[in-house]
Formats: sequence, structure tokens, C-alpha cells
Amino acid sequence: MLEDIIHIFFPRTYTLSNGKEVKEKFNYTPYVTIAVIIITYAALKFCKVDIGYFIRRFDKFAEIVKAMIPPNWSFWSEVKKPMIDTIVMSVLGTAFGCALALPLSFYLSNNFHFNKYYMAFHRGLLSVLRTLPTMVYASLLSVVIGSGALAGTIAIAIFTYTIAVKMLYEQIETIDMGPYEAMESTGAKRVQCMIDTAYPQVRGFFWSTVLYCFETNVRSAAILGYVGAGGIGVIINAQLSWRNYANAGLILFVLVLTVVAIETASRMIRRKLVQG
Amino acid sequence: MSEKLTVEQQYKKYPPLWPRYVIEFIGVLLIIYLTNDTLTFSKINEKGWLIARSAFTGLLKPNWNLVFDTSSVGLGNMLLETLAIAFLGTVIGTIFAIPLAFLCSRNIAPKWVNGICLTLVSFIRAFPSFMYAIMFVKAVGTGAFAGVLTMAIGSIGMLAKLIVEAIEDLNPGIIEALDAAGCSAFEKIRFGIIPQLSSNIVSTVVYRLDINVKNATVLGLVGAGGIGASLIQAIGRGDWGSTSSMLLGLIVMVLILEYFSTRMRKKLATGE
Repeated sequence: MLEDIIHIFFPRTYTLSNGKEVKEKFNYTPYVTIAVIIITYAALKFCKVDIGYFIRRFDKFAEIVKAMIPPNWSFWSEVKKPMIDTIVMSVLGTAFGCALALPLSFYLSNNFHFNKYYMAFHRGLLSVLRTLPTMVYASLLSVVIGSGALAGTIAIAIFTYTIAVKMLYEQIETIDMGPYEAMESTGAKRVQCMIDTAYPQVRGFFWSTVLYCFETNVRSAAILGYVGAGGIGVIINAQLSWRNYANAGLILFVLVLTVVAIETASRMIRRKLVQG
Repeated sequence: MSEKLTVEQQYKKYPPLWPRYVIEFIGVLLIIYLTNDTLTFSKINEKGWLIARSAFTGLLKPNWNLVFDTSSVGLGNMLLETLAIAFLGTVIGTIFAIPLAFLCSRNIAPKWVNGICLTLVSFIRAFPSFMYAIMFVKAVGTGAFAGVLTMAIGSIGMLAKLIVEAIEDLNPGIIEALDAAGCSAFEKIRFGIIPQLSSNIVSTVVYRLDINVKNATVLGLVGAGGIGASLIQAIGRGDWGSTSSMLLGLIVMVLILEYFSTRMRKKLATGE
């Protein structure tokens, strides 16, 4: 029994009757499992995780949920404007970000042979910018250009730009270059060739990317109000700090309904776009 | 096909372009209208320009004291906490997601169990993760623990959805073959199901860990631990040196993690 366990970590070597040695295949899995367990234990200690405490305090959690149901419906008149603001912020941010991303993604895909060094530089810059969430841009911008929907919109536009460009150039690199070369050989300019032969091949994907970005942006726009960048986050913050849970319940209800409606609609349209 | 068409005749057979132009025109008008209606540019003034300039010069000069500070308010500790929250959240999320995923799969569980579990998963997914963060902070107090709970709940939805896809792709032929060879139930799971699923599940989990590290920054905002709170405070009081070093640390950490996660997932997918 003990020997079996030891041999999980140190593969056996068999000696065949003709004197040949055969080694069992080495497997990482047991080592990785032990490493994961040790790291988990260390992280549990580091984060001071105490499940018992959570279970003891669960009534507190349930209390908040109970206070949110039923929501205070008369608060709707105050929720309407910030909710529309949130949607408008994501619409505009997505529109500006994607409008900027479309031409740039042609410039950054390697099948049109633009400047190689600039391409590497721009791609590197984008992957650095992509590591920061929308919230960081929003808080920086709200300090610089004042709090309000403008900061949120620009933050969303920057984030959308960084992810949309990557998705688009990866798709553009897979297109069929035949029509492009055929049109180029007739003497058309490169820009004309791209618009008339390359863009139609990614048109469906482009619109599907726009919708995908819109979907994720509506979700992330909800929190931007916390750093003063407009939208529904501002009133969520206020209602929660006043412990007005019935009002917060309504905000949450409206938010979830909007997000789910937008996601469902966008998924349906995207499935149509991809299937043609 | 027999008759020859001139270029003009061929063009006339194309669908008309004007509906597209009308839609594009309306779209542009709508965006201009919304821009005018919602965004106010009046808050941009001379002061903003000054702040922007000091921010820019400040961001180029990171606060190195913070970077090499090993105490509990140092950069290393904050990044480690962010990483630990994301890691634990992913681990706990996976522990819950795998059984849930089996119950959601059409080829494993009966239809009514499927329905209940899929509804549960979409219900969990519908709420934005910061709402969970707020509630957990109220329940267990500010700190990393609330962050871990939020991450765990936030991960379940996506993990379950991707693992369900892997389970529904299981090849039943292999299990039938093991059955024919006289294997026990345990042996069927060990040699028939786990090898088919493991690479897919590990790849999904690593991907989610990657996402969670990025999201963990946002959680700090509502007091759920990690680097977010200090970052936002530093930006708010205009401490650009600290902001710069925190952003730098965050970028480096995420890039390193992204590099390894991409390499690992590539290896799992192609077996190289």
C-alpha cells in the first residue's frame, strides 16, 4: 500500500526478461495537485477565510436580501434617469471605441504588410492597456475632466477599443486574400481594396463584436458611478450608504432586468449574424 | 447565363444600397443626439489641464518606496492579496461548479434536474458581481474574505457553462468499450471520463483565474480587499507616484499571468 503511494510520485522501472529497462511514464498531476493544495491552504490563511464566521453571520446576509424584497416601486422615477444614462454611456462608449477600432485593426493585422515595427509597438501598448479594467480609466478621467457621464464614456471607449482591436485583427488575419489580390491587380488603391474585399468578409464578425462589447460594457458601466463617472452606480452607492435597502432592491431589479434583456437580445442577433 | 450582360445591367441586378445608407445615417444622427443630450463638456477647464499635466509627469515617476515596502501596506503585499483572492475564488468556484455542471448536462442528468440547475446558474449569473461584493461586505465585514466569497460566486456561472459544454461532448463509445471490457464504475470514471474532461476543465479554470485577477482590482472599490481600494484612494488624493507604482505592479502581474495562462492553455489544447 505504502509502496503504491510512493510510486505515484516516483515512476517504477521494470526490468524485462531480456535485461531491458522500461520506465513508467512520468506524470505531473500528483505534484500539481499537492502544489494547489498547499497554495490554497496558504491563501486561506493569508485572506483570513473563516467559513464558520460566514455561516454564523449568514442571517445578516439574509437580512439584507429580505429588506430588498419587495422593492420600493415608488422610487422608479429616480431610477429612470441614471439607468438611461448608464445605457447611453455604454452605447456611446461602444460606438466610439468600435469606430476607432475598425480602421486600426486593418492597420494592425499582419496580412496587409504595414510597418512591422509600429505594429509590434501598438499591439504591445494595447496588451498593456488591456490589463487595466474600465474602472481604473474612469477614476483617472473623473479626476482630470470632472465627474460625470463624459468620464465614464471615454473610459468605456478606451476599454472597448483595446479589446475590439484584438478580436478584429485576429479575425482579419484569417480572411481569404484572393479577392484582395485580384482587386489590387486591377490597380485599385489599397484602401479601396480593403473596403471592398476585406471588410465584407469580416462584416458579420465586426457587428457581432460590437454587440459583445456593448453587452459587457452595460455590465461594467453599472459600477462606474462609484468612482464618480455617472450612471446608476451613483444612486446605488447613495441608497446603500443610507441603508435604504428597499430602494436599492428596486435599482438592482431594474439593473438585472436591463442587463438580462440586452444580453438575450444581443445573443439572438449575434447568432443570426454568425450564421448569416 | 447564355445572354451577355453589360456592366450597367449587372449592377442593376444588385440589391439597392439606399436602405443601408439610411440606417447608417440614422445611427450617426442618434449618436450625435445622445452625445449632445448626455455628455456635458462644461466641466473641462484650465484646472483639469493642470491636473492632467501633473498626473502625466507623476505617472512617469513611480514611488519606489512603496514597491520595496514589505509591510502590510506595501505593494507586494497588496498584489499578493489580490492574487490570493482570485486564486481562492477560482478554487472554491470550481469546487461548486463541477457538480453543478454534471447536473446541467443533458447526457448525465434527467431533464427536470437540468432545468432547475440551468435556471439556478443563469440566476447567479444575472446579478453583477459587485452587488454580491456589497452584500458580503455587509455580512462578513470589509477585507479579503468578502472578496473571496464574491469571486467564488462570480466564477460559478461561467465555469459551469463551459464545463457543461465539455461534458456534453463526452464520447460515449469509450465508456461503452470499458463497460464491455468488464470495468467497474470507478474504473470507468477514472479511465473513461476523467481523461476526456481534465484538459478541458483545467484550461477553463486557468482562463477564469486570469479573468478573476483582473476583476479582483474592481472589488477593492466596495471594500472587498485587494489592491483596488488603495488604488482608487491614491487617484482620488492625487498621489500620482503611488498610483503609478500600483498600476505598474498590476500591469506586470497581469501580463505575467496572462503569458503563462495562454501558454498553458495552448499546451492543453494541442498537447505540445
